[in-house]
Parts: sequence; structure tokens; C-alpha cells
Amino acid sequence: MINIDIGATAVAVLTLFGIYALMAISLNLEYGVAGVPNFGKALFVSIGAYTAGVTYTRLLPLLAGLESIHPCGPSMGAALQLRSEIMATQPAAGFINLALTFALAAAIAGAVGFAVSYVTLRLKEEWFLALVLLVGGETVRILVRGADDLICSNNGISGVAQPFYFLRDPGASSFLFMLLALALALAAYLYSERLVRSPFGRMLKGLRENEDVTRGLGKGISLARAQIMAVGSLIAAIGGVLFALNTGFVNTNDFVVNLTLDVWVMVVLGGIGNNRGALLGALLIAIMDRLAQIGAIILNMGGSEIEFNYVRFIAFGLILLWMLRYRPGGLLPESRLTTEAHEVVKRVIGAAK
Amino acid sequence: MPPALLTTSLVNTIQIGSLYALMALGITLTFSVMKLPNFAHAEYVTAGAYAALIVSLSGVLNPLVIMIAAFAVGALTALISHLAVFKPLEGRDVSFYTLILSSFAIGLIIRYILFTMADYFNLFDLRIAIPLQILFREGYLILSNLFAWVVPTSIVLVIILTLLLNRSPLGREMRALADNIILARVIGIRVERVKNYTWLLVGGLAGVAGALWGLQTAVHPLMGWGAIISVFAAAILGGLSSFSGTVMGAYVVAFSENTVMLFLNVNYGLDLAFKPAIPFIIIIAVLLLRPQGFTNLIKRAGDLGR
Amino acid sequence: MTPLLQLHNIRKDYGGLRAVDDVSLAAPENAIIGLIGPNGSGKSTLIDLIAGAAEQTAGRVIFAGEDISDLSADAIFKKGIARGYQEPSLYFKMTVLDNVLLPVKDQRGERPWYAPWRRYWAHEEAGHAEAAVTVLEQVQLLQHYDTLASDLSGGQMKLLEIARCLMGKPKLLLLDEPTAGVAPKLAYEIFQQIARLRDDYGITFLIVEHRLEILFDFADYVYVMHLGNLLAEGTVAEIANDATVREVYFGD
Repeated sequence: MINIDIGATAVAVLTLFGIYALMAISLNLEYGVAGVPNFGKALFVSIGAYTAGVTYTRLLPLLAGLESIHPCGPSMGAALQLRSEIMATQPAAGFINLALTFALAAAIAGAVGFAVSYVTLRLKEEWFLALVLLVGGETVRILVRGADDLICSNNGISGVAQPFYFLRDPGASSFLFMLLALALALAAYLYSERLVRSPFGRMLKGLRENEDVTRGLGKGISLARAQIMAVGSLIAAIGGVLFALNTGFVNTNDFVVNLTLDVWVMVVLGGIGNNRGALLGALLIAIMDRLAQIGAIILNMGGSEIEFNYVRFIAFGLILLWMLRYRPGGLLPESRLTTEAHEVVKRVIGAAK
Repeated sequence: MPPALLTTSLVNTIQIGSLYALMALGITLTFSVMKLPNFAHAEYVTAGAYAALIVSLSGVLNPLVIMIAAFAVGALTALISHLAVFKPLEGRDVSFYTLILSSFAIGLIIRYILFTMADYFNLFDLRIAIPLQILFREGYLILSNLFAWVVPTSIVLVIILTLLLNRSPLGREMRALADNIILARVIGIRVERVKNYTWLLVGGLAGVAGALWGLQTAVHPLMGWGAIISVFAAAILGGLSSFSGTVMGAYVVAFSENTVMLFLNVNYGLDLAFKPAIPFIIIIAVLLLRPQGFTNLIKRAGDLGR
Repeated sequence: MTPLLQLHNIRKDYGGLRAVDDVSLAAPENAIIGLIGPNGSGKSTLIDLIAGAAEQTAGRVIFAGEDISDLSADAIFKKGIARGYQEPSLYFKMTVLDNVLLPVKDQRGERPWYAPWRRYWAHEEAGHAEAAVTVLEQVQLLQHYDTLASDLSGGQMKLLEIARCLMGKPKLLLLDEPTAGVAPKLAYEIFQQIARLRDDYGITFLIVEHRLEILFDFADYVYVMHLGNLLAEGTVAEIANDATVREVYFGD
């Protein structure tokens, strides 16, 4: 039998949970709250990862006061060595680089999300937006893969180290990284919970329920939709940065349609329109992912021929179908959210009595 | 562009365009009759290809038998996905995105069942075992027996399908369904039966396309999924409603992917790695600039079944 | 005095079909204007055109002296024209209170950068809530403020729709069959509410209505449409005695 380190597994699962939670919350804001079907989630996640790929190879050496080395091709090894050295010895440069990466990724993804929403305004049918996002995500992936110099698309960039690498203690480093991921997920959760209960959330839910009526009530729905796409994309990109740091690797092959589907599974499983549902979905999928990995190892050590990764996808498909058919609201269906104003009215009525 | 390359790429265009047409017609038909953009369509193609491969590996090399097996398996896969997934969701007032997601989910399941099977029986990257022969050689123009199988079969099937839609009672009922399902029910069309037949037809054609595809390239669990975007691009060029538009769209996509891509590569040094981006760009451009596709160009002649 | 709303030679074609043909009308301030006619005569299309939900093929719409012909639906609402729909078009998954608060114009909390921080908008929201209390009281829905709109009765839905429009402080309210599917007694009450709103707030109403017996009790002026054309106009007494109107409308 193999030994499973419970502590390390828990840290790995919770780190993954934090990353998935960011993606699920972002999709829940877009689709669950505002009804915008973002089938291009992988694109916005990948923007974060690609940004990390660029900053960790170009910006980090500059911040450390060193000359950057071209990360691809023959100088690949030297560049990797340089990165590792800086991350190990100059934590300040590493942290500044991380902060800039977050800011840059959020800005780029937010702008792209905003712009995409406006470009697709002229679409004849609503579901074309889903198609354009799906297809657009793949197009960008192919174009980035073709542009070899940017993030070494042929081989990917490895050695995108976690920010606490300098501690030289893998356990402590992963633990702190987990805390970072969880803290960001918590911030995103609190932000979106407040958003949902605000007048902005009210408008978005109106938009989801009836677009024409909402326009007829004086709301600039194109702007609202672009705004929520910007917010959602920004959160997804932060998830993407963490995703790259967690695997230590940036590769275009990670950002295919299956990633988008994974995020949809999380939201459908947890509960469309409910931020807590998004968290629950992210947690369940993170656990399942880890179990699938452990299961694969056990199976292979037992000499089984079955590739466990395939079973994972079949299971995801079945979960999705099961939920859509029997529990379309998810495990935690959307609760009846009321806005601030209800308290005021309650007081007014109370005073009148 | 050297004439040899040009000729080869044009032959490819015709060959691949014919296959795209077979597959894209299924997408157009499902969308018209069932109001469903079916992303699992790719998997019927793969299932058909594997059926053909297994039959050929068992020693049966008669192409007709192979095609029939592929048709049967493709049709069955489509019917099962309808009965198990799409039909229960009908009439439940589910959102369009639920349908799209469901089609992704059933596609994922079929795809990875095929993966598991291919893995278990070692069926990765095998070709359907019909030997390659050169039938015709004139200058740069080389036509193999594959071309002789793929192109006429596709064209004949497209013609049969068109006739079926136009001339047969079933075709009339399918058109009625595409037009207005409530009305169709009112005038006594057995909607469920027509839907079942439509699924069989759609899946069968996809299956045959898979078998023909497997004649020219290796069979792999991802082959259908890899082509789905090109196929969707063709259907979207047909406005997701027009038959002739879809066939035209299929050849346009194939032409762009082969001849145009090669032209850009030879003359401007554009990396062939960008080839998969072509159908995406076509889809986005059509949806944004001309969502009706070819339909208004060919006017009424292009309406479903006409 | 110039009328609040003026339509000049409005025409609307759908493909080869002419839904509205050369219609001109004027609605003064502080009045209830009836718009009647058989089914398919173009009344609802005209409402859509004024509200900006559809675009006219030709003609101009002048509101409060300003040409609003080419404005979008949201801009027209902001100018002071609110509308109700033939089918109940509430936000059924929201509470009555959220339904009436959504249309309030220029809410600070609707901007995503203020939205998460209550202190920027809580005060303003409280003010809107108090306004909502007044409006809901007026249509007798205050005790239901925390009910989901889908749980209201048909008549209450119609009243809520009017209340929702009022929160946008409109000068003109377009109503498409405000009593459709409502019991006669309640239908009469709805019109009493409308008359009170006209008197208290000086709002002008343009009302499409099939229940002439009720409409004629309240309307200040009536336009009759038939096959996309304006057939007649006049006071209730004039319309009721107009021979052509009687012919197309009542089949006499």
C-alpha cells in the first residue's frame, strides 16, 4: 500500500479549493446572478496564467536587479535557474512581482471581459454569446500557442515558483500558499455576497429575469452586463494566476474547454445563483480531483489497466446530467435574497403600528 | 503557390468538405427540428469510426458492410442520447444553456467511454484496414480509392437526405416540426416518432462520416471532437437552418482550412499551427457580421428541405 | 398649451405588413387618454413605438417638446415615460419591494464600485425605501412588501406594475390593458387608482383597453384605431355615438 500524507493532502485540496472557488464565484456572478452564459471561462483563467508566465520570466529578474534571460529554447535552463535563484533568495522581488502579476492579470482580463461583452451586443440570438465565448477562448489559446516566444508555447514555462519558496521548506511554503489562496477566495466571496444584496445585484437579477423589461425601466443593460463580465473575468484571472503558481507551470494545453466545463460543473453542482453553492461546488470538485489522483495511483499500483483520468471525466458528465435533470437548483439552491431596503420598510411599518 | 500543392490542397478540400457536409447537415437538422445545438454530435462521428474500425479489424473488409455498421452504431448512439438525456429535459421549461450543458455532458461521457475502450483494447491511432490504391494519376492530380469512396458516398447521402426531406412523408413531418412544433402536434403528427427517426438519421450520417474519415486518417477518440468546431462553422454558415447553405458552408470551411491556409503559409510564412483557428474565426465573423449565414444569398431555395 | 405627447405621422412596417399607418395623436398633460380598437388594429405596436421597444418606420414622437423618436427604451424611461405590459411582466422571483425599487433612477448603489460598500448608498436606499412605502400604500400592497411577486393575485400584479412605473417618477404612463384578466370589481378599482394618480400627481395616462364600459367612465379623450389607421377621436360621448366606430367596433 502507499502512504498518504493526510496533512499534505489536506493542504493540496484546500489550495485547489481556493483556486476553484475563485473561478466558481466568478461564473456564479456572471451566469447565476446576471444570466450571462460565460462558456469562455478557460480564456479568462488563462489570461491570469499567461500573465504570470510573462511576469515571472521578464519582470521578476528586473525587479531583482538582474538581466532577464529569454525563457524559451536553448537558454531555457539558464532562465529557469535564474528564476529559482531569485525566488529563493530575494523574497521581496518575488512578492512585488506577485502583486504586480495580480494587478496586471486583473486589469487585462477585466478589460477583455468588458470589451467582449460590448462586441457581442450585436449578436442576433442570446445563446450565440455562449458560442462566441466558447469559440473565442479556443481561438486565443491557439493563437497564443502559435506565438512561441511569449510563453514558450511548445514546451510551456516551468518553475513558476510559489511566493513562499524562499522559506526552503516545502511544507511551510505550501501551507502559506494555501492560506493566500483561501484568503483571496474569501475576499471574492464576501465581495460577491455584498454585490448580490446591493442595488447593483438587484439590477443584475432583473437583467437575468427579463432583459426587455429591465431596459424599459431605464437601465443601461449593455453597460451592466459589461460591468459584471469585467468583474467576473477579473476574479477568474486571479484564480488563473494562482493556478499557474500552484502547478508551477504555464501551458496552453491546460486551458481547453474541459476547464470551462469543470467550472460549470462546480456551479451547477453547488447551486446556480448562490455564492455558497459555488463554494460548495468548488470544494466537492477539489476533493474529487484529489481522490481521482489517489485512486489512479492505487489502481495503477494494483496493476489495473484502466486510466483513471477517463473515469473522472465520465463521472463529471454523469454528475452534470444528474444535477441538471433531478436537482436543477443545485445542492444549495438560490435562497431568497432581500436587499437592504427591506430592513428600512420593516422599521417604517413597525413604527406605524 | 506551386501547382502540385495547389492540386493536392484542392483534392483535400473536396474530400474533407464532403465529410464536413455530412456532419454539419446533422447539426443543422438537430437544430432545426429539435432546437438544440448539439455538441455531442462529434461523438456520434467517433462512435461510427470505431464501429467501422472494429468491423474491419475483425476481418470484414467490404466497405459497404463497414458503412452500414458505422451507420447503425452512430444512429444508436444518437437515439440513446436523445432518449436518456434530451427527451426527459423537454417540456420542463429548462433554459437553453441547460440543453447546451447537457449536450456537452453526454458528449464528454461518450468520448471518455470510447477512450476507456480504446485504452483497454489498444485501439489508439489505427486505420480502417482498407488498402490504399492509386486510381488516377494525371500530372499533379492523384486520386486514391479513398477519394473514390469518400466523395461519391457523401454526395449521394446528401442527395438522398435532401430527397427524403422534400419528397417523403417523414421529411414533410420533419419540416413541419422545424416550422412549428405545437402546430405539428395539433395537426396530428406523431412528434415523438418523427424525433426518434430524426435522431437515427442524424446519428447514422455522423457515423458514416466517421467511417469515411477513418479511411483517410487514424481513428482516435478525439477525432470527432477535434472536428466539431469546423463542422459547427459549416452549419453556422448555413444559418443553422439551410441545407444547401450548410453544404456550401462545409466546402467553404474545408477550402479555408486547406487551400487558403496553405496559400498563406507558402506566400506569407504563416505557421500551419494557426490552422485550427480558421473555423473559429469563421464562426465569430459570421455570428457578429452576418448571423443568417448564406441563407439570404440563396433565398428561399435554401430553406430547410428545399 | 402644447400637448405632453405628440405623434406625427407614425408608420410601422413589419416586413410587408403595415401594422401602423400614418397615425398622429396628441395627449395633453394631466389626462387619461383611451386608445381603443379591435384586436390587431396596431394599438400595442403604437405603445411599443412610443416606449422605444420598437423602432418606427417613419414619423416622429415628440415628448415634452423634445424629439424622442430615436432614443432607446432606457433613455425614454429616463425622460419620463414608463410603461406597463399586456402580459404581467414583473420580476417574479423578487419581492414586491425589490420590484418597485429597481426602476428608481440614478441609484448610486447600482455602480459596481460603490455596490459592495454599504456606506456609499445605504442612506440613499433608505430614502428610496420610504418613497416605496408611500407608493405601495397607495396601491394597497404595503403589507405584501416582502412577498414574492409570483405569489400575488392577478389584480395585485397589475397594481404592482403600475407602482413599479411610478417609482421612476414618470410624466406619462403607457398602459396596455391594465385590467386584463382581472375581475370586474377590481378592474374598476384599478381605474379609480389611475384617476387618483392623475389628480394627485398630474400624470398623463395613455391606456389601451378593451373594457370600454369601464374606460368610458374615466377617459378624458379617446382615440380609435382600426387596421393600423386612426379611425376616430373625440370625447367619450362623441366616440360612443360615432357611427363608423360603432360599425367596426360593435358590428352594428
